[in-house]
Amino acid sequence: MTHTLAVDRALAVISLKRRLAYKANWVFAIILGGGAMLSGLALWRNLLGDGTLGGYDWDSMRAYMIIGFFTATLAFGGADWAIADRILDGLIAVDLTKPMDFQRARAAEFVGSMVSTVPTAVVGSAIAWLVFSPPAPVSPLAGALTAVSILFIFPLAFEITYLSVLVCFWTRRYLGIMWAREAVLSFFSGIMVPLALMPAPLQIAAWCLPFPHFTTTPSNIYLGRVDTPGALGLIAAEAAWVVVMWFAGRLVFNHAVKKVTVHGG
Amino acid sequence: MAETTIDIRTASPVRHAAEVYRRSLVAHLRSIVEYPADFWVMASSGALWQILQFAFIAILFANVSAVAGWGYHEMLLLIGFLTLTGGTTAMLCDGVWSIGSMVIKGEIDYRITRPAPVIVQVASTHVGMQAFGEVTLGAAMFVYGWIGAGLSPALIPVALLLLACGLVIEMALMTAMCAVNFWVKGTASIFGFILVDLQENVMRFPLGIYPAAVRVVATFVVPLGFASFVPVQILTSRLSAWWLIGPPVAAAATVAAAALVVRAGLRSYDSAGH
Repeated sequence: MTHTLAVDRALAVISLKRRLAYKANWVFAIILGGGAMLSGLALWRNLLGDGTLGGYDWDSMRAYMIIGFFTATLAFGGADWAIADRILDGLIAVDLTKPMDFQRARAAEFVGSMVSTVPTAVVGSAIAWLVFSPPAPVSPLAGALTAVSILFIFPLAFEITYLSVLVCFWTRRYLGIMWAREAVLSFFSGIMVPLALMPAPLQIAAWCLPFPHFTTTPSNIYLGRVDTPGALGLIAAEAAWVVVMWFAGRLVFNHAVKKVTVHGG
Repeated sequence: MAETTIDIRTASPVRHAAEVYRRSLVAHLRSIVEYPADFWVMASSGALWQILQFAFIAILFANVSAVAGWGYHEMLLLIGFLTLTGGTTAMLCDGVWSIGSMVIKGEIDYRITRPAPVIVQVASTHVGMQAFGEVTLGAAMFVYGWIGAGLSPALIPVALLLLACGLVIEMALMTAMCAVNFWVKGTASIFGFILVDLQENVMRFPLGIYPAAVRVVATFVVPLGFASFVPVQILTSRLSAWWLIGPPVAAAATVAAAALVVRAGLRSYDSAGH
């Protein structure tokens, strides 16, 4: 196996360049994500008034929604179809002959494509920041730890996507899998509704999954809903999920790849 | 099994187009039956979205008593109505999402030469299988909301009329938005996505939560309000019976607008490069 960091970098750059070729997607992502953020802000403005819900007042909810926009833009922006198409079109048969680790190669490409969403996330968040003036992070350290927790979204998003895409080996179709994953991620991450508003059993179920780390973890750290040890604990949980899902991906792939049938000669 | 056939030389244009549409859609449904696992995955994902939508509303109303004056069951009526019209649109004219790729690949040529309206042929090339799950759950939410809100069964004919109008508005708007790809070249129907996004994020809440400008645009400029918000307000007696004239007029206007956009798009169509 000659899979090196240089290979990872090359795959990530190619994937990034492929995405950057379609600049209209940047504007499109701001319109879609921004629309969801604005309607969410209108809803919570109406519901919260001068009061609080689940410990969120209007100030903290503004920050929550903008963080949600930022993290959702990253989480949903990866090139998931590029992985699925390799399985569905049979290109994986060629990949298996290459001196590369399939999972690592797809991770590099996926992260490269996610990087292309950063300008959208930054520009959209900056505009929202100027318009809605949310509160600053509770402390500089909380701000730094929020940034660290957001960085973990890159591997987490890849691994959740990869595990779901592997289902294509059995279903031979990806669209339904993608929608199901996006639905579960939207709900259990807190993008749709903050976890703090959910009944206790649902909150426990959510925290047993990797999804809350996409929105609830960064916003909890940013808003000071957890103290510094709590924030470090959440980041450690993110790191643990990254390791667990990486090896889960290998396990599932080794089983799923037996479904590949190469025709012709 | 013998099929009834019509003679295209003698059939009226409308009947002929309807028959082409029906046959094309039935052919696609037959292909779905050939891949049952595919169908169940798609239908389940559609149902899952609606289950989580329901959970979202349930969680919201566990914390508040009303959203802009709308109670729990009224919100279910609104979301159920929206899901029913949106899901049925995906069942009946999902093919319009292919306009972009057909324009790029020059596949409209083939349809122009056939003796049936182009848009009828294009719209019936695909059935959104997720819609089977969406419509099932949407109907459940609508009925649950109806019973909970204490609406009279005497309103059922009115509800059916409003649902039909909402469906026509949705189909017409979706067709018009996807037809923008005649000019804005690309396989992805960006304007179609924006319409879906508007429906899923903005229209699922009472328009009362938005600034006046948004309410006016969503009701009278892009008349999405007449496809869900206004009908549910009529059913729940928030608006007078006079408003019943609004959805049919909006439906007729959006169909006319969609027809104009599609015709203009077909006139500007210059096939793929050679």
